[in-house]
This record gives sequence, C-alpha cells and structure tokens, in this order.
Amino acid sequence: MSSPENFDDSRALELSRKCVASRLPSQTHPEDDDDLVKTGALDSMGWVDVLVSIESATGFRDFGSSWPESRTKSIRGLAAMIREAHSTLPEDNTTERFAADVGRGSEVTIRGWGYALGSVTVAAERIEEELHLAPHKIRDGAGIHSLRCVDASEDELVLGQRAAEIALEMAAVDVEGIDILVTTSTTFLGLPSLAASLHSRLLLRENSGAIEVGGACAGLIYSLAVAKGLLRAVPQGAALVVASEVHSRRLKNSDVSGEFRGLFGDGSCAFVLSSAPATNQEDSLSLGDFVWGCSGNFASVLSVTVDENSGIAVQFKGEPLAHSAVVQTDRILEILENKCGRPRAEADYLALHQPNPRVVEILSERARVPLEKIPLISRSCGNLGSATCGVSLCEALSNLRARRDPSRAALIFMAAVAPGLVWGGTFLN
Amino acid sequence: MGQGHCVIGLEQTAQRAFHSVRPMPQRSHAWPAFFPYGRGSIIRFSPAATPVSPPHLEDQNTHGLAPSGEEVGEVKLVEMLRRAEVSANLQGLFGCQLHIDTQGGNAWADPSSATRSICGCDFRNIRFRFFSEGSEVSLRAKLLMPSGEILNSLPLVDREWRRFFNDFVQRSSQTGRTPDPETFLNQSIRSQLMQAPSRFARIGLARGRPNEAKCWLMLDSLFPQPNAAWLSQ
Repeated sequence: MSSPENFDDSRALELSRKCVASRLPSQTHPEDDDDLVKTGALDSMGWVDVLVSIESATGFRDFGSSWPESRTKSIRGLAAMIREAHSTLPEDNTTERFAADVGRGSEVTIRGWGYALGSVTVAAERIEEELHLAPHKIRDGAGIHSLRCVDASEDELVLGQRAAEIALEMAAVDVEGIDILVTTSTTFLGLPSLAASLHSRLLLRENSGAIEVGGACAGLIYSLAVAKGLLRAVPQGAALVVASEVHSRRLKNSDVSGEFRGLFGDGSCAFVLSSAPATNQEDSLSLGDFVWGCSGNFASVLSVTVDENSGIAVQFKGEPLAHSAVVQTDRILEILENKCGRPRAEADYLALHQPNPRVVEILSERARVPLEKIPLISRSCGNLGSATCGVSLCEALSNLRARRDPSRAALIFMAAVAPGLVWGGTFLN
Repeated sequence: MGQGHCVIGLEQTAQRAFHSVRPMPQRSHAWPAFFPYGRGSIIRFSPAATPVSPPHLEDQNTHGLAPSGEEVGEVKLVEMLRRAEVSANLQGLFGCQLHIDTQGGNAWADPSSATRSICGCDFRNIRFRFFSEGSEVSLRAKLLMPSGEILNSLPLVDREWRRFFNDFVQRSSQTGRTPDPETFLNQSIRSQLMQAPSRFARIGLARGRPNEAKCWLMLDSLFPQPNAAWLSQ
C-alpha cells in the first residue's frame, strides 16, 4: 500500500477523529485537544486500537509504535503524528514501494473495454424450481431477477474472446499491438491455461506474454495491478486483461447447495491498458494506486474445494459471508478515499464485486453510496465471479463516456473481496 | 487492565473434564498487584455470592484464596486446559460472532450474545506487535487459528510474557544493545514458539466499559510460556 497523496492538516485531523470515534461509545465526543487516556475516554488497549486503526487506514507501517512521551494522546496529537509519518516515509518498504510503483509510475490508461454474457437468460423462478428452492428465494431473497448462462457452444474461452474483441475494437488496438495478456478465472481448470488458450485463440504475437492471475472474485483487480506493473517495463506498451467465468457448467454436477448455485451466472470482461500517452485525455481514465490484502479473520465464511471425485465442495455461511463482504468493501473504499484524496461522494461510479444485489443494497446503505452509482449487473446476470466488478466497470465507463461532465475530474472506485478473505481495490481518474 | 491481576483457573468437573472459573476478591474483579501464586498453582477458596454478569459467567467471588501446596507443570496444565473450553474457529470461541471495527484491529464480542468469557485454542502461527511510550510497553499478537481464521491485534496480557518482555527491554537498556523489539519477538522468540510441540492460547473477553456494549478480546495466556534463557540468545 502506498502513502496517501494529499495528507494535509484537515485530512489528517478528520482521519484521526474518525479512528478515535470508531473506538469510543457513540455518545462520547472528545475535543481535539483532550488527552484521550488521561480523561478516561480510552484505556491503554483502546489507545493502541486507535493506532492500529490509523495504521490500517493510511498504510503507515508501525504507526505510533513509539509514541513520544511529551506528546498528548489526543486527536490533534494523532493528526500531527500522521503528518510526520507521511513526511518521513521509508524509502525501502518493498510492499509499499511496489504498490506505489504500480500506482505512480508511467501512467497507464484504459483504452478499451467490453464484456460478454452467457447467451441463455434464465428467470429467477425457473432457477428456484430447478434447484428445488423455496419460491422467491432467488428473486426476493437474493434480489436476482435472472441469470445469464452459457449454451452448449460457449465456454470461458468463447466468452473471453468475445469480450476481448469488443475491447480491442474500442481501443483501436490490433492484436499485434498487445504485449501482455493477463487472464483470471476461477472456473477454468484445464491446461493449457486460459491465458495460453486465449492467446492462441486471439492470435496474439508469439512474443507477447500470457499470464494467469488468481484471486477468485478479486482476480480482475489483481490482474489489472499485474498488467499495470508489467507495462512499466514496456514503454508505449499495451496489455489485454480478461476475466472469464462459466459457473453454470462447473457447479452443474456438484453437490453444492441450490441456494449457492442459484446465485452464479456466466460472463467475461476485457480491458485494453496502455502505457502510451493518451491522444484524447478526456476519453481515457488512468488506473490509480492499488490496495490489497488478505483478512484471514473472515477465512472460514466461504471455502471451495475439489473433492476426490473432482466434484466441487462448497462450505459457506450466508450471513457472516454477506456481513464480511459488506464490512470489507466499505473498508476498501475508505482506504481508496485516503489514497486518492477524494471522498466516495465525489465518485461517479463504484464498480464493485456483487455477491448478490441484496448485499449491494446493504453495502450501499452502510457505505453511504447511492445505489444508482453502482452498476448493478448482478440483478440481471447473477454473480459472475471475477468478471462481476469488471462488467460493472464496463457499464460505468460507458455511462461516463456518454454523460461526461467536462467541468470535473471523473472518478471511479473499484473494489472486490474473495474467499480468504482476499481483497483488492483501485480507482480510476 | 488497570493495576492488579485478573486470575482464571480450572475446576475439575469429571475425571477428564474441566471448566474455567475466575476467582475474585469480594469487592473487585482483580487481585492486588502483589499476587503470591503462580501459573499452575493449585489453590482453594470458599465461594461467596456472585452477581451474574454475562458473558463473564466464570466469575466467582470468594472469601479469599488459600494455598494447597501443590502445583502442576506447564505440560500438565496445557493438557488440562485442552480439556476445558476450546474452539478451533472464531465463532466457537465465545459462542457468538466476533466483530472487527477496523482493518487489522482487535475483535470484540457483543456481551449479550457471548456465552462465555474465556476459551482456549491451538494456534498455527503468531506474530507480535510492539507499542511503546517511554517505559510503558504494550504488546499485541496476531494468531492464526486451526480454521485458517486470524485474530488480529490481541492485547497480550499474560503476566509471564509481559514480565519476560520487560526484562528484555531492561536488559537491552542496561547493556546498551537495543535490538528492535519487534524483530526480536518475531524472529528469535517466535521461532522458539513455533518449534514447540504444543502451542496453545487462552483468549479472554475484557469487561465492557461503561456505555460500550463491547467486550474486547485479550490474549490471556500463551503457551509455551517464555523461558529466561531465550533472552541470552
């Protein structure tokens, strides 16, 4: 994680207030100069929790580990510490430097995008019937009106190729111009890999790379980060990033419960990234810094394993899973706000992973983000795994292009969580 | 935490079963800072009436403690602790969902949902964090549970571990050698812990502060216990 770019006095103070408030009972409102420990607002444990909270929100490693005795343990003291930590960032923090490099090196813009969905539309009622679920379980319980599923002629490669060709056409980039292909898929398990197969299918240059990235539902964000990092080594280069998932086939002959299977659809998305200077700045959004992590405290809420008979076994705890997805996504947004120095309220769109529309609605409320800013593709397509936030991003980019307000800088936040809980986020501006 | 010691022990309920009990003075939750018993001491007490205050259902007011003259060693103690309250996952620790307010922060339980205030668990990995302000030191630990779930930033309140670390800090300042405390903990000491055949932790719930319906988790006991010889390495 790299450091925030705009940590001025007011932002440091605002963050300090927020982190202190998160550790206090709601009716406690200390003044900025109050010594939080001496006044009894916090005990020593609570104070350390505040330090950990700021460390987490800023990415300043070891924040407050050595607190000066002369400094008051106040909100203002914390803000001063944040500014000092920001001004004395270590030069050799590998993780931070890598993320910062990915974020700040030569600018990488998104030149083209596209998505493809399974060609069969299955209504919620039919899913409920086929999977022997209670009526309205999918439509009302999960908020999914229909799923998009593949027909017999479609698979991850077919969908990935369709999405890639749309993105390449929009970017006006010939396949010969692609230097790196980065793919992600949870459902494609064969060899040659999806990247190798798609590379051949698209007839990319033989000396362009083909790389697989994992990460399940967060896989697209990690793929974009990898592509951006690799493009630094290729001046004027272009990368194609593809996420493609066919859940319906993978889950069809498994013992996975209907209430889980009924959430997933099939789809793919693709993006053309370029490290060449944009000829039309207004039409190209840059990939900002990336944030990522793995919150193991939520690891047990969802696990998927391949059992001895090559069947898929899924263990999931619905309510804790939804809760952790909401909480974690909200946290990612908070970190992204600190990274780009702009609040979520200024975002034009949020391209988020969508376990199901109900979870998105809860998130919208918790994160104080209007639902209309989240392209809700899961309502008509279902959860598309790694492609979910990508298809959502495609919609956001297209909407933005159509309704662009040239008087203000565009902003899109992107966030996803996956089993583990692996999480990632970025912003485009 | 405050001044004084919160003490928790085991009471035998069957030949091979134990449950936790927290003997307390009659008018306080904690014993004075000078507490004459050590880990593994077997003590007797006569119970006094105890107001029930969930989730601290193990609380037991006493008319004072009396020595039995017996004690159990660490291996035996851990064996007994494994036959008391244990869980391999987060949900099972206190019979309720745990909440985390901030990324990487400590977890808390809702006192109205938690069904107990102490539980043991094996751990697969551990890392330490160190916070200081002058001579005041706070230790935090991050534990990986058998379920693959992680407990972040647990305040380490184990008396022996805190003493051990204070000795380390004191010795460092006396000798003028000041190795980075976190590096020392996460390399030298963590290596000792991870090589131990048995790694066990007891996680407790702190008492909620007034107007705060949250019981924060604490790392009450960490086994193996520290060995003074580790300091000379």
